[in-house]
Order: sequence, then structure tokens, then C-alpha cells
Amino acid sequence: MISVYLKGDSWAHRMPAGWKLLTVALGSLLLFQVTAIWIFGACLAAVVALYTSLGREGLAQLAILRGLTMFLGVLLLLHWFSGSLVDGIVAVLRLVVMFLAANFVSITTRMDDMLEAVQPLFKPLEWLGLSSRKPALGVALVLRFVPHMMQVFSMLREAWQARTGSRTSWRLIAPFAVQSLRMSDNVAEALKARGGSDGLSS
Amino acid sequence: MALWPKRPKKSAQRVCDPQASPYAMFNGVGLTIGRKRILDGLTLSLSESRVGVIGLNGSGKSSFVRLLNGLRTPDAGTLTLFGAPSSEAGPELPRHVGFVFQNPDHQAIFPTVEEEIAFGLTQLGAEKRESRERARAFLDLHGCGDLAGSPFAELSEGQKQLICILAVLVMEPRLLVLDEPMTSLDALTAGRIREKILALPQKIVMVSHDLSHLTGFDRILWLEDGRLRMDGKPAQVLAAYSEDIGRRLGTEAEVVAL
Repeated sequence: MISVYLKGDSWAHRMPAGWKLLTVALGSLLLFQVTAIWIFGACLAAVVALYTSLGREGLAQLAILRGLTMFLGVLLLLHWFSGSLVDGIVAVLRLVVMFLAANFVSITTRMDDMLEAVQPLFKPLEWLGLSSRKPALGVALVLRFVPHMMQVFSMLREAWQARTGSRTSWRLIAPFAVQSLRMSDNVAEALKARGGSDGLSS
Repeated sequence: MALWPKRPKKSAQRVCDPQASPYAMFNGVGLTIGRKRILDGLTLSLSESRVGVIGLNGSGKSSFVRLLNGLRTPDAGTLTLFGAPSSEAGPELPRHVGFVFQNPDHQAIFPTVEEEIAFGLTQLGAEKRESRERARAFLDLHGCGDLAGSPFAELSEGQKQLICILAVLVMEPRLLVLDEPMTSLDALTAGRIREKILALPQKIVMVSHDLSHLTGFDRILWLEDGRLRMDGKPAQVLAAYSEDIGRRLGTEAEVVAL
């Protein structure tokens, strides 16, 4: 499952998704206006405090930064060489704070709440006569089927390995594409069997 | 203001009568896919509470049950579903006919169990929040409340199939069509799912290769090469089917032909 949602019932889980997203969006805008390093230090402390409020499991989520260290290091060096070390630290802190804040929303917000919150953004589609429900459905389908497709790929790889001995090959791309197409056929049929993407409410 | 007019609503007027009996009437129904004749000359009507469908691979079972919920439409003969011609009943059928696929991974559309159940309710016009609460209550009712937040991909095969059945049942269909729902399950899990299915108030049409799953049924349809080879009580039809398989296994030519 690629969804990073952390099951729970904290204050952050109960807060409406729209408010969380709006806060992060406005906060990010403001962060681009300031350059004082102490403000970033304070923001970082505040964001870490947010994670702490979720308890031990929340703090463990900070490990997600580990994947970014290389990238942040390069960013720091670039800024250091082209400007000053302080510039570099500011750039890195800004990114870390924004990233952690956004991730905090992800781990405390259910996918369908998130979709409901962003659905108004798709409203313009309705003026064009298109359904604003479809993009939301699309996102849900991606979340549902990415893990499944990874499973399909590992099955293909096993079948390949069982008959060739080698672990993987570019040749698996074609069967994987075929399997994916067949899968989308199946999903389309399943969706149709329950009334299609437009629903039955009319 | 719309830049171009919205598509007309699909089912402005209801044409189906969910209480209709028989719920399906086939009259010389045929179905061709590509150049292959899948079903041919089917004439029968269904009103029984428990109908089983048997036949060898490629005999047309899956296509036959797909006619019942509008996933396929016949290209010969007439098919009446819930009192309406199949061509008109189509958009309304998912409301009356629940369909459970052989592979749960082909059926579940949503990442988590609760969303999968709630989808059927939003399809019928419920608000998101309401549908989520009702989905939770429905899962509790069926003893699966603790699965609500689980990712579908992490369920066991039996749990997956059960959730697929519940996701269809929550829409309260009159008829439940199941296309080999127990194929990937172990005997114990399959038996449990079968018990659950047989206890339902819905009318059931079920395809199965495991004849023991069909013994208590009211009627069995045996399809062969897209035609109805035999139609009757399980005692006669299941026995004749097993005997036919035994006889064909005995002749060497058939074994080679496999």
C-alpha cells in the first residue's frame, strides 16, 4: 500500500482536511517571503512538535526525511557555492519545514477526505459539462492498483526467473503492459457492473 | 453555464420492475463476440431463488451470467430482464443485479475496505459522509467492522471475496450473480462463503466448477458450446454432468484433444 495514512484519532485526524491543506498552502507562501534563519528554526521546532503530538508513531514518521538527505545535501552545497552557507541552510530548512508540514497532512488525512477537500478545484470541469467526480475516482483507482500492479510485476518476474534463472529483464515490459491493459479492462467491467463512473442517482 | 449541454441523464425514467417474476426471460438469445458464436438459441426463464450454472471452460457460462446484468447485450433473440427489454434495462440493471467476479482483485475499485463498501451507496445517491457511516455500520453488521480501515491489497483471499460480496450487497440488489466466486479459496473458506451466500434473501445465480457447492440449489443449467444441454434439478443434472465428464475422460481421443 503506498498510502502513507496513519490510522488514528488525534486532534489532527479530526481537523477538517480543507483547513489542513489551506494552512499548509498559506504557510508555504509565507515561508517564501522570509529569510531570517531563526524563523525557520522556530517553524522546524513547531512542525516537529506537531509530529510529537501524535505520540511515538508520529515521531517515527520523521524518518521519511532520511530519503531526502542526499538531495538536501546537494541543495546545501549548491547554495553555499553560489551564495553563502546561511543561504544554503535557509533553503534546506524551508524545504524541510514545508515537506514535513505537507507530510503531516498526508499521514493524518484519509484519502477520500483529501479528495473531497480538493474536489471543488475540479468544479471548472463541470462548467465544461464534465464530471468533477471522475478525477477523484481516478486518484482512488491509482492508489488501489499501484500495489496490485507491483504484485503483478513480481509474479511475472518469478515466472521469468523460474524458466531462465536470471532475475529480471527488459523483456518483461511487454507482458507487463499486456497484463496492465487486461487489468484495466477488468476494472472497467467491475465499475460498469456497479453503475459506472457517473453513478445511478439520476 | 455549460459551454455545451450536459449529456442527457441516463435513466430519467425507470423501466425495470424489481419484483418481476420471472426476472429473466430468454427467447432464442444468441451472442457473438468477434467471429465466435458464444451463446446460441437460449430459451428459458428464470424465477427460482437458487440457480446454478455449470459447463466446461469456454461453454459460455461467464457470458451467460453477464447478460443478466447488462455487461453483455444479446445480438439475437429477445431478453427481458425485470420486465423490460435488455436494451432498455441496461443502465438501470446495476441497481437490481449485483455481480461478484471470480477474482476479487478485478472487482475492488478502492484502496480501503470502507471506501469500497461506501462506493455502492454513493452510486445510489447517498452523500459521502452518510455513505461512509452506513458502510461502517454495514461492515459491523456482517462482523467485518475491524477491516474497515484496512487496505484491500492486504486482506486474505477469503476476506477479499467476502468484501466484494458485501460491496455488492450493500446496494440491496434483488438478484446476486456470482461468477465462480470460490475458485481461489481453500475448502474451509469456500464453505463459509457458500454458507453466507445461501443464507441471503436475494435470488442467486451462481457459476461453479465445484459441483458440491450447488447441491442445495433449486435448478441447474448445464451449458455446452453456448447451448443449453440440460436444465433441471441438481440431482439429475449434476449426476449427468459428472457422468459425461467421466465418460469423456475414458476415451483417449478426448484426452489428447485437451
